[in-house]
Amino acid sequence: MNIIQSFTYFFSSLGQVITDPVSILLLFGSVMMGIIFGALPGLTATLGVALLTTLTYGMQLSHALVSLMGIYVGAVYGGSYGSIMINIPGTASAAATALEGYPLSKRGLAGKALGLTTTASAIGTVVGMFFVVIFTPLITKLSLQFTSFEFFLLAFFGIMISGSISCPDTPQKGWLCGFFGLFLAMIGRDQLQTYPRFTFGITSLESGLETVPVLIGAFGIPQIIQVLSDNRAMPKQNKIDRVLPSWKAIGRNIKHIVRSALIGVGIGAVPGIGEDIAAWVSYGTAKKTSKHPEEFGNGSEEGIIASETANNSCIGGAMIPLLSMGIPGSPPAAMLLGALLLHGIAPGPMLEVERPGFTLTVSAILLLASISMWIIGILLAKQVSKILKVPSQLLMPIVGVLCIIGSYALGLKAINLYLMVPMGIITYLITERGYPIPPLVIGVILGNMADANLRRGLMVSKGSLLPFIQRPVCLILVIIIIFTFLSGTSFFKNFLSKLKGKIIK
Amino acid sequence: MKKLCILALVCLIAITGAFAQGSGEVYPSRDITNVMVWGAGGGTDLANRLVMAEMGKILNVNINVNNVTGGVGGSIGLFEAYGREADGYTLVGVSESCVTSSVQGGFDKRMNVWDFFIIGGSPDVLSVTPNAPFNTIVELVEYCKAHPGEVRIGGSAAGSIHHLNVLGFCNGAGIEMNFIPYDSSAGSQNAAMTGEVTCVITSVQEQAELLKAGKLRPLGMMTPNEFEFEGKTIPSAFDFYPALADYLPLEQQIGFAIRKDAPESVKATLQDAFTKAMATEAVQNYGRDRYFTLKGLYGEEANKIFDNLEATFCWTLWDLGAAKIEPSKFGIERP
Repeated sequence: MNIIQSFTYFFSSLGQVITDPVSILLLFGSVMMGIIFGALPGLTATLGVALLTTLTYGMQLSHALVSLMGIYVGAVYGGSYGSIMINIPGTASAAATALEGYPLSKRGLAGKALGLTTTASAIGTVVGMFFVVIFTPLITKLSLQFTSFEFFLLAFFGIMISGSISCPDTPQKGWLCGFFGLFLAMIGRDQLQTYPRFTFGITSLESGLETVPVLIGAFGIPQIIQVLSDNRAMPKQNKIDRVLPSWKAIGRNIKHIVRSALIGVGIGAVPGIGEDIAAWVSYGTAKKTSKHPEEFGNGSEEGIIASETANNSCIGGAMIPLLSMGIPGSPPAAMLLGALLLHGIAPGPMLEVERPGFTLTVSAILLLASISMWIIGILLAKQVSKILKVPSQLLMPIVGVLCIIGSYALGLKAINLYLMVPMGIITYLITERGYPIPPLVIGVILGNMADANLRRGLMVSKGSLLPFIQRPVCLILVIIIIFTFLSGTSFFKNFLSKLKGKIIK
Repeated sequence: MKKLCILALVCLIAITGAFAQGSGEVYPSRDITNVMVWGAGGGTDLANRLVMAEMGKILNVNINVNNVTGGVGGSIGLFEAYGREADGYTLVGVSESCVTSSVQGGFDKRMNVWDFFIIGGSPDVLSVTPNAPFNTIVELVEYCKAHPGEVRIGGSAAGSIHHLNVLGFCNGAGIEMNFIPYDSSAGSQNAAMTGEVTCVITSVQEQAELLKAGKLRPLGMMTPNEFEFEGKTIPSAFDFYPALADYLPLEQQIGFAIRKDAPESVKATLQDAFTKAMATEAVQNYGRDRYFTLKGLYGEEANKIFDNLEATFCWTLWDLGAAKIEPSKFGIERP
């Protein structure tokens, strides 16, 4: 297909969806459903796509695609609602958003925050879409540089960086939490030799700790306890005149948006890691490069833009290896793969031969999904921010019930309830001592990836650690990790300031 | 109006009564339920739904596929189906991985309480990366004999069907390879793309796209018969190493089962409908699209295959330390 043909195909796909009332209805319906899924703690993007997969079985392919992409985009975006409004991220990918979004809410700027994240998410999705079209072959090649060793380092780096970011003064506390999460991830049968670890003979622990109850327990319970014990009402929200961010605000942040979108696409394209890491890395980069790092933690515009743009552009990134290699780039994309197979489409190197223009159709739908997400988001923001007017004595018990339902809903296992509550109490106790929660959750999420890949790598190299410095991507990652570690030590900080002093002299 | 209603009601009761009377005579006289132990949309589910639809047409009833998932090895669905009467109105949709349910503490009976109907499955194939220095399976085996434990072979997690095929191949060919487990078949194939492993054993269906694109090169089937793939013939590894027959084949087996104590006449009716359904164009096309070997087996033949799978799977898991109950406690003999 040459460029002109591609263009025509892209716009004819767009036209097909726009001119079909059923598609439009499905698009808005599934985006809306996605936002609800994203906003409620415990209902994840993965679960949303999974539930729709069975519902779309009987539909024709184009309708099924519209619904699935719609709910995926909506759910990743919807996570920011919980983060901003009640400091409980609706999905793991919105955890970084909570650090900045909630302080903005506390200052009475929830409407502004929602408007910004909505626009940033929409732009992020569109940027992701462009990459699906243009860079698919290139990014596919790059992701093939990632073997077990690289995956281990990437997971390890994810835990380290979330520790450094969420606790900048004493990153050691963040790392400690991260490693505690890593330890929790070791519970259950190991993935390589199916040997039970730390299960103490309890059958329900054998499949390991599920992420969702840990996430809900760690973020939800401490928040409920804190709000109720403070007994402090949310400040009166400023009257929201406009949710729609001004061109000026967008223009001011455009470079953050573009950078975050690029980070999101890049991380999305690496198989197996998804929106959550994209958000963290992008947030960290924003903080490192910001001209106003002191604003971070107190409601920084750049911060929420960074994490929300990245997690949405990650969708496009995750589609790249899915469509070109049949390898899902993120957990929801894995569900999407299952759905595509159900409809008799086998994503992979032969996809473009068997169904020419399929990638373009997916991109067209992604574009439409982001537009409808933006429209719904802007309309919703004003209404949603009214939630804050509900007194917390009423709101928090409701949130508590949702936490319990959320941790039970996924898999319908009672063990998740017994897990969620103690998890919440432990995290409450450690947050009271100034330890951050996000690295703990990231540790649980990435723990298995780190563990299985390290041991698999060692099986491949027969116990040799040399690949860590022999493989180019590994070496880069090792250097970054060492730098991250050193930059947290006082010795290194002193050294840096001395160095700076000398240069200035 | 009221009279009309009463009349309609009387008619309805009369008709229901007539049907109820008839149920004792001809099987099947009402809808059949297939308790599907795996989730909707999976390979076992799709194949079962298709075959059930065709069988329903032949038997002139509806066969409803009802997903009852969860437990270990589909144990919740197995309990559900076994708990119902053995009258032929309850079937259970199963696959090869259900056979470990007993030793993993799920279902409390052996697989020999069922009579199986095998639709088929996609056979396992050993493939290498395009630039690997082996053109035939003999070259690979010779190299492995000269350099034991050096060639890396990927497959899904320890105890999975692909892992058992790797073990069977190494034992049968008398070689030693470095097995690297991944969490899924896709994971192991991806590792072959990055060059982390040289060989993979997964099913033809799972490898199909990579084989078509020339990113993997098939060396030999892990089944006694050669396989036609997109106009090319993949030879069977059994032709070169007959000793493989002592350990293999261990194939994906998708199908359904009925309680063994169901009446023989009911089984005969089902077997007849099953054979006809397997011959329909819809099922044949499905099999071709998914690179299945369609089997259409039932009775003793099918039960023997499941017996063998049960013994191999359960004892391998026990040896790996992944089984909870020793297989001999269920009377499963070491293969």
